[in-house]
Amino acid sequence: MHIMEGFLPWQWCVVWWIVALPCLMLGIYQLKKVLAADREALPLLGVTGGFIFILSSLKLPSVTGSCSHPTGTGLSTISFGPWITAVVCAIVLLFQSLFLAHGGLSVLGANIVSMGIVGPLVGYGVYRLLRDTSVNIYITVFLVTALADMFTYVTTSLELALAYPAETGGFVSSFILFMGIFAVTQIPLAIVEGIVLALVFKYIIALKPDILIRLKIFSEEKINAARSDI
Amino acid sequence: MFEELLEDIAQKNGLREVNAYLKLAAGLGAILLCLLSTGYIAPLFIAIVLSCAILILARVDAKIYAELFIVPFWFAIMSVAGLILITGGQDIFWQWNILPSFSLSITRESINQGMFVFCRVIGGMSAMIFIALTTPMTDIFIVFRQCRVPEVVIDLMMIIYRTIFILIDQVIQIYHAQVMRLGYSTYRESLHSFATLCGAAFIASWDAGEDLIRAMDARCYDGKFALLGESRPVERIPCLAVMIFLFLSTAVVIVSGTITII
Repeated sequence: MHIMEGFLPWQWCVVWWIVALPCLMLGIYQLKKVLAADREALPLLGVTGGFIFILSSLKLPSVTGSCSHPTGTGLSTISFGPWITAVVCAIVLLFQSLFLAHGGLSVLGANIVSMGIVGPLVGYGVYRLLRDTSVNIYITVFLVTALADMFTYVTTSLELALAYPAETGGFVSSFILFMGIFAVTQIPLAIVEGIVLALVFKYIIALKPDILIRLKIFSEEKINAARSDI
Repeated sequence: MFEELLEDIAQKNGLREVNAYLKLAAGLGAILLCLLSTGYIAPLFIAIVLSCAILILARVDAKIYAELFIVPFWFAIMSVAGLILITGGQDIFWQWNILPSFSLSITRESINQGMFVFCRVIGGMSAMIFIALTTPMTDIFIVFRQCRVPEVVIDLMMIIYRTIFILIDQVIQIYHAQVMRLGYSTYRESLHSFATLCGAAFIASWDAGEDLIRAMDARCYDGKFALLGESRPVERIPCLAVMIFLFLSTAVVIVSGTITII
């Protein structure tokens, strides 16, 4: 669920585009560097983008009536880092608005900031913190995904609250209000998405662990340890 | 699930042969005018004109078009309800002081503001859906290339575009197979099935990516996709129609800027 077309006043659309653009440029710069080093990476990145798109257009079994879906950025951010994920996300968000009428064009900047930049940055931070510790792979994946998802929606609330501050209490109280509206569906959703992606990892580790080793997501010992658990 | 992607409709809509720049000008211009408008009438006017264009000129099925609005409507109503409660004003109809520093109220100004945002969402959504339903992505790639978007990004977009369709087929197959085997009968079961579905999709997409590398290597891939684009000529009548539409909408934006609902 993204902010939709026309919801933000034009001033805020411009602001979020200004925030998003430098991150996208950094992402494109890194993308060029990665591709110069290993041109096989392009199809892989494309595939990740397709995967995010598919994942975010699937309806997650969750609270009835909500249009909740996984954001799917957790996987990309631990594979390619947050900045390249921002570029991939920007493309996916554009496709989502044009293929599924999901999100919007003028608010694309705001959606890139929440789903493509803040969420993945938080997820990547968690991943870097936990990667070299003895924490179980599944718990790492769960935390990365759930927190990336949660912070995506915190940022969305922030964007909405900044655009529409309350009369009394201003920005803070409207932030709390929007958080309240989102929390009903998003906290269970983030937990469910975390569980789902942890299970996805279990499936990948059981069937094709070489993918994870080649992308250097986890060290071989850690994957072997996880494999022996299954 | 997603049996009906807007892209499928766009590839065979009635306005397929019109120049892509004209359609983008109409859609993006409408979005811009909706955002710049200060009253609720202009976005509604834009929504009505573009909906007619989608239904009559592009010959899109009315039921499909209506279904596209369900999710945005739900989100819009929820958010606008919140918006009406937190926006204050002079002319108070109802007020509830929950905490000394926080109160909810419904006022004349907040209803006007809520109505305005709601109409702007409807106007913006119809403009975006207009682009989505009339301009296939393949035409948009050509526009991007002519607008000097970096090559890497366009290549990435084309690969993502292609992967999406491969993946959708697989996901639908797996999903139906799972449903047939009662994979979604209980909540626990459905979580598990959903995770298997995602995992299988990831591995399938990985394989598709590797196949793609091999296929491209075999065809002398040197880091740049060739993109065949035929630019359709700008015809007089569509061009005139877009100009009249944008001119009329601008006029409505200017004239109706101060009109409020109550």
